[in-house]
Amino acid sequence: MIDVTLVIKAVVYSISIALGAVGISIIYNATKTFNFAHASMVAWGVYIIFAFFWFTKYIPELFLPIAFLFSGFLGVVTYVTVNRRLIMAKASDINLMMSTLGVDLILFAFLNIFADYLMYTHKIGIAKGFVLETWDPRIKILDFEVRLAWIVAPVVFIIMFLFIYIMFSRTKLGIAMRATIENPELAQLQGINPEIVYLFSWFLGGGLAGLSGGILSLVFAGGPTIGMETVVTFFAGAIVGGIETVYGCFVGGFLVGLSEYLIPPILAPLVGSWINSYRMVIPLTMMVLTLLIKPSGLGVIIERRLR
Amino acid sequence: MIELNPLVELIIMNFAVGLIVTISLNIEVGYLRIPQFGRLLAVIVGAVIAAAVPGRILALYLGLPYGAEYADHMYNAKIVIQINNFLSKNLLLSLAVFILTLVLAALAGGVIGYLCAYPALRLKGSYLGITLLTFGEIVTSIAWNYQPLVGGTAGVYMVNPFAFVGSGSSSLAALITLTIAISIYIYAEILARSPFVRMLKAIRDSEVASEVYGKNIVKARAQTLVIGGAIAAVAGALWATYTGRMNVASYTRLTWTFWPWAFMMLGGVGNNLGILVGVLLFTLARTAIIQYKYVITSVIPIAAEWLEYILVGLVIIFVVMFKPQGLMPEKPTLTLPRKAIEEIRKRVEQEQGRL
Repeated sequence: MIDVTLVIKAVVYSISIALGAVGISIIYNATKTFNFAHASMVAWGVYIIFAFFWFTKYIPELFLPIAFLFSGFLGVVTYVTVNRRLIMAKASDINLMMSTLGVDLILFAFLNIFADYLMYTHKIGIAKGFVLETWDPRIKILDFEVRLAWIVAPVVFIIMFLFIYIMFSRTKLGIAMRATIENPELAQLQGINPEIVYLFSWFLGGGLAGLSGGILSLVFAGGPTIGMETVVTFFAGAIVGGIETVYGCFVGGFLVGLSEYLIPPILAPLVGSWINSYRMVIPLTMMVLTLLIKPSGLGVIIERRLR
Repeated sequence: MIELNPLVELIIMNFAVGLIVTISLNIEVGYLRIPQFGRLLAVIVGAVIAAAVPGRILALYLGLPYGAEYADHMYNAKIVIQINNFLSKNLLLSLAVFILTLVLAALAGGVIGYLCAYPALRLKGSYLGITLLTFGEIVTSIAWNYQPLVGGTAGVYMVNPFAFVGSGSSSLAALITLTIAISIYIYAEILARSPFVRMLKAIRDSEVASEVYGKNIVKARAQTLVIGGAIAAVAGALWATYTGRMNVASYTRLTWTFWPWAFMMLGGVGNNLGILVGVLLFTLARTAIIQYKYVITSVIPIAAEWLEYILVGLVIIFVVMFKPQGLMPEKPTLTLPRKAIEEIRKRVEQEQGRL
């Protein structure tokens, strides 16, 4: 029998994975860049929440918008300094990927410097390994004790889903983005400035990474390497969902997150507790299987059904 | 036996192993544009083989426990000390063990490369890169958690095939690794001039055209992956043997996949000499940072470790943005000069006339 708390935590975790996967997908679709810097953007989201929480002592959830904006800013900086020039030079997708890897290493270094700064200058002993969950306020609803993150995370998820849905289907910017993704030359002929589209997708993609990091910090132990450890799961979410379909990534993120969190505890009584150590293998295997069987991911199937 | 300065020894070792891994990467990326983001996979398989197999064979030979107990951290140190004591009196057996380790690692790396040929056939570009990276992560995760293999989180001690020289054994290991690196470099240079690599370059430049001329692309890709995997696995085995201890945590995608990529891109994709220069520059820069750590920290108040990351990151970005060909761009392999061809023709004609 699985614990209800475990299921809820799995859902919060999956929300984080899904939002991050959508971020990867948006950047990939708009600029054909597979964003390795996602790892550090997620980790920066975690640290923004931690630092603001530590210095203000308000509830951590309040700072989710700041995490979004900060990582969005990192995305914009990445685009303006590195990605823009490469796209104009029509670099190959491997070169685009490598350049974001360079960005990732630099962001990772600065994150560690920031963590060192918190630890040694501000004497925060836990700056390199903290569990924000302990400070997450508990609320009593009926007879259940509920953590605030369990309510905030789904609300954030629904808001982001609606925002992305409305933006892509109702606003001029979203439609311009879709047009640019479909065919950049034709979109330019129609007077759409691709630069704005690229800039905005980097902002949104980076912001979603920060937001997912913020939510992740409420269920996971935080530290400077949190991004590196989870980034492959984000990739898995994006690829299982189908990186070319934004909505597929919502589904893919959930599928990967839930199976990673829930399959080991379900199987443990049957096969033994050793399976708990192999948690990371589950999303990775799902991803490899998707790539080998249907590289376009689940999203394509979903989209076909919707039509 | 000579004992090198520890710093010199570290530079030699980092350079040699870096060179081997980067050459193996270059064979796949430079000649065939396979986005090999899973270099770690072959390296870690090589290291695991080196840690798990020779020690067990010797333990079996000496009548020590060789099963799951071998990797248990309670017994492992004792078993390995006994094996090393035995090896230190046995020069020929030590060398045989060392060569066997490398051969087994190369074989395993080759098998890994062959298995990677299937996804390499189906996927392209960044999709393939991510798949290969994931393979590496899966194997690392299993090696980290499956205790009976190489001790899991506790790690295992390595059999030291250079124990016979006594105190300078790590210097000898470094020098032998350097020798192997140089021979692999020479092999790569010979390979680069062979018809095989010419075919690979043709496939890289135009798959359709080379297929029209009857080249078997599937086979060529599998062969390239096998060669690359085997060489990378040798690097993993050499590094594990040198460090004397197999600890899966020290095999990360950062050090064994991304840094070789950076070395390769700095030096020049597809150019062996460029790669040698790239690896040398990076090794020296990294060692300088480690060596002058305290000086750096006194000037700028950050840990020098992160400076290394910033350096590597900046190099990757600058190379990709401003010099995608690297410091030494790949040169087209020229055909023989007219004179040489004439001479060959004459010689052939003479031989035919004689017949």
